[in-house]
Amino acid sequence: MTAPPAATPPATPESAVTGTRRPRGRPGRWSALGRALPWLTPALLLIAGVVLFPAGYMAWTSVRDLSQFGMDNGPAGLDNYARLLEFGALPRVLLNTVVWVFGVVVTTVLISLGLAQFLDKAFPGRRIVRLAVIIPWAASVVMTTTVFYYGMDPFYGVINTFLVDVGLLDQPYGFTRNALPAFLTAMGIAVFVSLPFTTYTLLAGLQTITLDVREAAQMDGAGPWAAYRQIILPLLRPALAVATIINIINVFNSLPILQVMTGSIPGYSADTTTTLIFKFIRADRQIDTASALSVLNFVIVLGVILVYLKVVKPMRED
Amino acid sequence: MAVTAPSPVSEQTGSTTGRPRRPRRGRGSRRRRGLLAAAGAVVALVFVAPYLIMLVGSFKTRSEILRVPPTYLPETWHPSNYVDMWSTPETPLPYNLVSTIVISVCATLLVLCVAVPAAYYTARFRFPGRLLFLLLVLVTQMLQPAVLAAGLFREFVTLGIHDTWLAMILVNGAFNLSFAVWIMHSFFASVPKELDEAAMIDGASRLQILRRITAPLVWPGVVTAIIFTFVNCWNEFAASLVILTTAENQPLSVALTKFVGQYESAWQYVFGVSIVGIVPVVVLFALIEKRLVAGLTAGAVK
Amino acid sequence: MRTPVRTTAAAVAMGLTLTACGFSGGDEGSSGDDAGGGTTIDLLVPQYSDQTKALWQEIIAGFEEQNSGISVNLEVQSWDNINDVVRTKVQAGEAPDILNIDAFSGFAKDDLLYPAEEVVSPETLDDFQQSFIDNATLDGTVYGLPLIASARALFYNKDVLAQAGVSEPPSTWDQLLSTATKISELDADVYGYGMPLGSEEAQAETSIFTFGAGGAWTDGDSITVDTPENLEALKFMKSMIDAGVTQPDPGATDRTPMLDVFIQGKIAMAVGLPPTIGQIEERNPDLNYGIAPVPTKDGEPVTLGVADHLMAFRNDDDKKDAIRAFLDHFYSQDVYLSFVDAEGFLPTTKSGADGTENADRFSEFLEVLPNARFYPSTNEAWAATQGALQTLVGQIQSKDAAAVLKQIQDKADAA
Repeated sequence: MTAPPAATPPATPESAVTGTRRPRGRPGRWSALGRALPWLTPALLLIAGVVLFPAGYMAWTSVRDLSQFGMDNGPAGLDNYARLLEFGALPRVLLNTVVWVFGVVVTTVLISLGLAQFLDKAFPGRRIVRLAVIIPWAASVVMTTTVFYYGMDPFYGVINTFLVDVGLLDQPYGFTRNALPAFLTAMGIAVFVSLPFTTYTLLAGLQTITLDVREAAQMDGAGPWAAYRQIILPLLRPALAVATIINIINVFNSLPILQVMTGSIPGYSADTTTTLIFKFIRADRQIDTASALSVLNFVIVLGVILVYLKVVKPMRED
Repeated sequence: MAVTAPSPVSEQTGSTTGRPRRPRRGRGSRRRRGLLAAAGAVVALVFVAPYLIMLVGSFKTRSEILRVPPTYLPETWHPSNYVDMWSTPETPLPYNLVSTIVISVCATLLVLCVAVPAAYYTARFRFPGRLLFLLLVLVTQMLQPAVLAAGLFREFVTLGIHDTWLAMILVNGAFNLSFAVWIMHSFFASVPKELDEAAMIDGASRLQILRRITAPLVWPGVVTAIIFTFVNCWNEFAASLVILTTAENQPLSVALTKFVGQYESAWQYVFGVSIVGIVPVVVLFALIEKRLVAGLTAGAVK
Repeated sequence: MRTPVRTTAAAVAMGLTLTACGFSGGDEGSSGDDAGGGTTIDLLVPQYSDQTKALWQEIIAGFEEQNSGISVNLEVQSWDNINDVVRTKVQAGEAPDILNIDAFSGFAKDDLLYPAEEVVSPETLDDFQQSFIDNATLDGTVYGLPLIASARALFYNKDVLAQAGVSEPPSTWDQLLSTATKISELDADVYGYGMPLGSEEAQAETSIFTFGAGGAWTDGDSITVDTPENLEALKFMKSMIDAGVTQPDPGATDRTPMLDVFIQGKIAMAVGLPPTIGQIEERNPDLNYGIAPVPTKDGEPVTLGVADHLMAFRNDDDKKDAIRAFLDHFYSQDVYLSFVDAEGFLPTTKSGADGTENADRFSEFLEVLPNARFYPSTNEAWAATQGALQTLVGQIQSKDAAAVLKQIQDKADAA
């Protein structure tokens, strides 16, 4: 592809920017799209080239009858979906998923708002603190989870021993051995690993708000909390909206944390739809049912995001 | 995007020329700064603590690391773990590090090249299908990579590029596009359009505007996008596991699993390799963080 | 108008050119066409220990030296990941030529494998011990090539047993329960019996008890989970949990960490495998332990045996001769023993059993091997049943044993 953007005749700035010159006929719309395409084509190509096939393949396998190693034994209609709906633990798993996504995202966003505000202040050693906050992001989620899992082992875990030594526990506790504590611990880790990214997105958002605005906010005479709510928070909204969307998606699709923390626990009481997909694949050897659940999973997260976009309108047109 | 209330922003741009960041007000500052620093130390400790366990563990021997009850500090420190792990029989670690670097750097560049124009244009211009495009980009993020791995492998086998870095650069590029586009979109959108218009009337091309005017203002967003993409590529596992089959091509994330055996695991190496994986990202961040702050102060528009 | 460099457009163009010219790193070593006109066979193996890769590399080097024109492309994956990798490859029609894994029947049912007689010489085939060949046969055809075997035995801490006033390791369930109870009452901070029912290998621990009650996972045709014998076994396991003589939370304890705790002397009795000996030597050589047959309901000797297999995939008939050459080379006595002895498993071939260095070291295991029973891995539904056991059987800690068995049986029936 040659570099087209510079060659594109610039749209008349006023009309393009403000979009006020209506009505427009079809040709105008099409030429607007035509002007947009060179800027969007690389992204579209990349998506079409890489994502389209595997996504379609996933949907295709969800209506096929596959052997445990993926040999195609012909069409299955909606049998895989039917099997899914008959799955007894599904309500519990869906409930877990809601608790998981909602709990982790809300906690993450609230803590991140405070943390971003804090890291935006000037104090000695701020750079070091900022660097420290990014570490859970730099480390892979699998590794972070593994070190927690290791540390919380009731026998050789350092965290458990520490909690006993400082008197918070009488004896080591099996955090990773029972569904509820393991699930809650996993949620804590999920918040922990989501904080850096969320905080930094918000921090970047704060950076675009200049001193003048903040001082203006304070001079209005309102208290700091009111100033924050009425001036800073609205200005943070774009960054906050993006961070929340990405968090919802990532947390929803998060696999390794629950897999490591609750993987040894029998039954389905600590599973979300995402971990259930992999139990279907690895334990039950039902790739086709897993594909059906993957499709369902995708539809759910798409629905959640659409509702979010509808309600929060981060991309409002004008 | 009109989320950003216009008035404070134009106020900002109106008064930014030569805006001095300092001096700050000195009111009650010393005690307050001390308290903030103390709070900062606590925050830093919380975020570092798990990785201290990792770091300390990486200096223990294989037997001490599973001692019951555990030791907080190694009885004797074994820095040799950090030497030995580069030449273990399990995995060619130097190659794995190179793979990780090449894939992450190239994929991040790819994402930038593809996402910046898209984010810029969607933030600046209305055109039919704009929202659809943004949603489509977002949809790619919603697909679970581990679920898609089977399809991806099949695709790259057909294209004849499985087991190559190129395949993983494309995969990482595609799956990180959405965040990059969205975050940069929100930052581009928050830059007042009046600036563009003024420049356009001056006869500047759209690219010149992007480069000279918009880009400095959106630095924090671009940097966030870079870090996000880079870190995700750095730690990507699910697709690499199946697409890269030659040990030398595999990234660190896959190499790590080679230290987990059927009956016992070399935890000291698992932890050591993890530390090796973390350090470059933190260094990168330390370098780029200056730009993030600089983006603020240099953001003044002439 | 156009600024030549450092504009986004140029960067985009560069990025795309970069990718378009096939920037492919490290292409060498990937499977498929190779320049010399020889044959390349892909070998995919799991990681048994930290030596696994080096052992295979040595074997391959020796083979390639003797067979110019054939090269072997090795891929090693951890046990955690190998099933994902295999499934993805098979699904994409890119199966390895030779695979080392536990069960072969699923592949055989999908008609992906060569019968053993087509890929090894008759001498090699005759050399396998009959019990392993039986376990590698599906509908009268041998598909799997038994690679390594292991059996389970009871590891016990002699010091702790002596402290509790027990002189002999338990051989029946009653003795197991009473010994474990005595140890728990010692107040020595040591748990009586380590019962790992977490997802890692719950099916093995369960099998030891169900086999010990005379139960079986199959009646020859279908998978039988919900049987009176198996129920009796689960009830006994539950009684041990309820009596508090196991480590805490047995339902969610994985095998590897449990054995780590045994090695550290904090669990008095646990079922282990041949490699456990090496781990004790490495991590806690002072542990005063013994090895005995696993306790069964009334002392009838039976244990769980496990065999992993090599299998050859029907990818390309042109490769068949190369595969046969490699497998015959691998199963020659010296080469084979270099692998089995170093990995610390029991050999599956007659010549291997005669020559193994480990005969003394593993004498207790070799003694129980004739009484070993295997998973019904030739049954197609076993893989899913095993998965169900792994993810569900631990529930007996809090749920009714019969209900748990029924749940697993349902999974098996659905497979």
